[in-house]
Amino acid sequence: MGKVMLEVNELTTKYITRFNEDVYAVDHVSLKVEEGKSLGIAGESGCGKSTLALSLMGYYFSPLHYTSGEIIIDGQNITGMNPDAVRKSILGNEIAYIPQAAMNALNPTQKIINFIEDVVQAHDPKVSKKEIYELARERFEVLGLPKEVLQRYPVELSGGMKQRTVIATSVILEPKILIADEPSSALDVTSQKMVIKMLRYMMEKGYVKAMIFITHELPLLYNVTDDIMVMYAGQIVEKGSAQQTVFDPIHPYAKGLMGSIIVPESGLKDSKLTAIPGTPPNLKKPPEGCRFAERCKYVTPECKRFPVDMKYVEGNRSYRCIFSEEHLRKAYQNG
Amino acid sequence: MKGYRRYFLNKLLWLLVTAVFAFLLNFTLPRLMPGDPVAAIVSRLAQGMSNSTGMKAVYEQYATQFGTNKPIIEQFFLYVGNVFKGNFGSSFSQFPRPVIDILKSSIWWTVGLQFPAIIVGWIIGNILGVLAAYIRKGFDKVIMPVSLFISNLPAFGMAVILLVIFAVDLKWFPTSGGYGFDLIPEFSWRFIWSVIVHYQLPFWSIVLIAIGGQAIGMRSMSIYELNADYVKYARFLGIKDRKIVGYVFRNAMLPQITGLALAIGTMVGGALVAEIIFSYPGLGTTLLTAIQGQDYPLISAVTLIITVMVLIANFTLEIIYGLIDPRIKAAQSD
Ligand SMILES: Nc1ncnc2c1ncn2[C@@H]1O[C@H](COP(=O)(O)OP(=O)(O)O)[C@@H](O)[C@H]1O
Ligand SMILES: [Mg+2]
Repeated sequence: MGKVMLEVNELTTKYITRFNEDVYAVDHVSLKVEEGKSLGIAGESGCGKSTLALSLMGYYFSPLHYTSGEIIIDGQNITGMNPDAVRKSILGNEIAYIPQAAMNALNPTQKIINFIEDVVQAHDPKVSKKEIYELARERFEVLGLPKEVLQRYPVELSGGMKQRTVIATSVILEPKILIADEPSSALDVTSQKMVIKMLRYMMEKGYVKAMIFITHELPLLYNVTDDIMVMYAGQIVEKGSAQQTVFDPIHPYAKGLMGSIIVPESGLKDSKLTAIPGTPPNLKKPPEGCRFAERCKYVTPECKRFPVDMKYVEGNRSYRCIFSEEHLRKAYQNG
Repeated sequence: MKGYRRYFLNKLLWLLVTAVFAFLLNFTLPRLMPGDPVAAIVSRLAQGMSNSTGMKAVYEQYATQFGTNKPIIEQFFLYVGNVFKGNFGSSFSQFPRPVIDILKSSIWWTVGLQFPAIIVGWIIGNILGVLAAYIRKGFDKVIMPVSLFISNLPAFGMAVILLVIFAVDLKWFPTSGGYGFDLIPEFSWRFIWSVIVHYQLPFWSIVLIAIGGQAIGMRSMSIYELNADYVKYARFLGIKDRKIVGYVFRNAMLPQITGLALAIGTMVGGALVAEIIFSYPGLGTTLLTAIQGQDYPLISAVTLIITVMVLIANFTLEIIYGLIDPRIKAAQSD
C-alpha cells in the first residue's frame, strides 16, 4: 500500500439556508487516496458531490458549515486549523480545486498571467514576477497552451483553452491533491476523456500527487480513475475499484447508474444513463432508514426502519445496503 | 482591436446623431415662436430698452445672423457656422456684451465645480457600494437606507439642507457666491482661500447626491459579482479576500462607468440647481438670470453648451469604458 495522501474520516458538513434550515449535504463521509492514485466520485445531480469537493478543502464559508469529522493531508490534520492559516498554507499548495463551472472560473477582467501571479504570491510574496512567468510558461507548454495565452483575458480564449488554463493554474503550486468537480460536464464524452487524460498527465509529471475526480456519469470513470465512490443523498453508498464498480456494482443505486450495460467496451460507448425513476430525497429532512429505499426496486419494509451502515466485502469493497451481496446478485439476475 | 474599432465607430456615430439633434432643437425652438423670431425678439427687447440706436443695431444684427429671408436649410448652416465661430450674438440683458464673453467667464466655474464633484462622488459611492456588499451586516444596514434617502432627494433638497445647516446655522461657510463679494479675481492667497471656502458647500451637495445613486447600483453589482464562480475559485487557491474584493470592485465598477454616462445628464441638471441655490457664478446661475431677464440669445447659448458638454462627457466615458473592459471587445467581435 502506498503512502496515504488524503484521508477523510466521518466528515459531515451542512448548509444553513437563509431560512435557517440545515441541509446535510455531506454526511459522515470517509475516504482515502494514496499517492499516485485517483478516486472517482459519481452520483446524480443534487447528491452532494460538489459540496463534498468544497468540504474536502477544509475551508468553510457561509452558507456551508463544518460539523464534524477530520481531514488529514499527507499526515497533517487540518481540521481545527485557523481558517486564515488554511488559506495561506493549505489551499492551492496542498490541496487545489477545479470548480464545476471551469468556464467561468477566471476573473473576466484580469490577464491570465496576473491571476497566476496573485495565486503564487498569495503563498509566497517573495517570488518575482519573472520567476512566475517562467513557471507559468513551462506549465502551459506542457498542457499545449501557447505562452501568448498568458497575456490574454479569459474572454479572448476558447472554451477548451480556458479549461486547460484552469487546469494549469490549479496545479501551478504543485498541490498534493487535486479535486476536479465535473471539470468537463459541459463537454462531449470525447473531450471529457481528454480533460481526464490531461489531469492524469499532470499526475504523471508529478505536479499533483493524488486526484479526486467528480462526475455525474459513472460510466465515464471506467479506465480513468483507480477507485470509485458512488454517492447518494450525502452518503457514500458504494466504494471499490473502478473496474469492479463499473462492471459489477453491488448497491442497487450504483447498478441503476450503470444501466443495463453488460458488454464491456462496445457497450460502454453507446451507454445512455437509464434514468432511475424518482428523484433524490430532500436533504433538509433525509429519510430515517435507507435513503435510496423510496426509489429502490428491491425495497422491503425493513429497509426504511433504521439507518444502514456500510458493509465490507471481499476485494476491498464496501456498500450501504441491508442485503447481502449474494442476495442482491440473485435479485439482479432475476431482473 | 477590430471589435473595439467597431465599438468606437458605433459610439461616434451616436455622438454625431445626438449632436445634430441638439443643434436642430436649439435652432428650431426659437423659430417655433409665433411670428418672425427676429421681430419677436426685438419687440420683447423694446419693452426694456429706450436706446433706439441700440434697438436698431440689434434688429440688424439678428436679421443678418438668422438670415430670416433665406431658405430654412441655409439658415441652419448659417447658424451652425456661427456657433462654431463662437458667435452667439449679443446678450439682451447685458447689452452689448457678446454672449460668448459671458459664457467664457462662467463656464470654468461650472467645469471646475461639476467634474471634480461628480468624479469624487462616483468614486466614493462605488467604494461604499462594494464595501456594503462585502461586509454586509451592520455597515450595509446603514449605507443602504442612507443612500436610498439621499439619492431620492431632489437636487435642490441636498443643497438647501447643507446651506441651512453649515452656512446659516453653523456659519462655517458662506451662503453664496464663488468668492468673497469684496474681492476681485486675482492670484492672491486671500482670493484663492476665499474660492476654496465658497467651493465646499456646492461641491459636497453635488458629491453627496452622486454618492447615493452610485452606491446603490454598485452594491447590487458587487453582490452579484461576489457570488461569481471566479470568486470561489480564487478563494480556494488561497488568494486573500482583500485581493478578491479588488477583483470584484473592478468588475462591478466598469459597468458603472456606463451607468455614470447615463446618469451624467441628470447629475449636471442637479449640479446646475446647486449652483443656483448657492448663487455660484457658473452656467447654472447664468442660465437662471438669463431666463429671468428673458435674455433669449444667452439662454439658447447656455443650453447648447450644456448639452454639448454632456454629450462629450458621455462619449468620453463610453470610449474609456470600451478601452479598459476586455469584455466589451470580446462582445463586439462576435
Ligand atoms: N448554497 C446552498 N444552500 C443550501 N443548499 C444547497 C446549496 N448548494 C447546494 N445545496 C443543496 O445541497 C445538496 C447537494 O448539492 P450539490 O453538492 O451541488 O450536489 P451535486 O454536486 O452532487 O449536484 C442539494 O440538495 C442542494 O440543493
Ligand atoms: Mg455539482
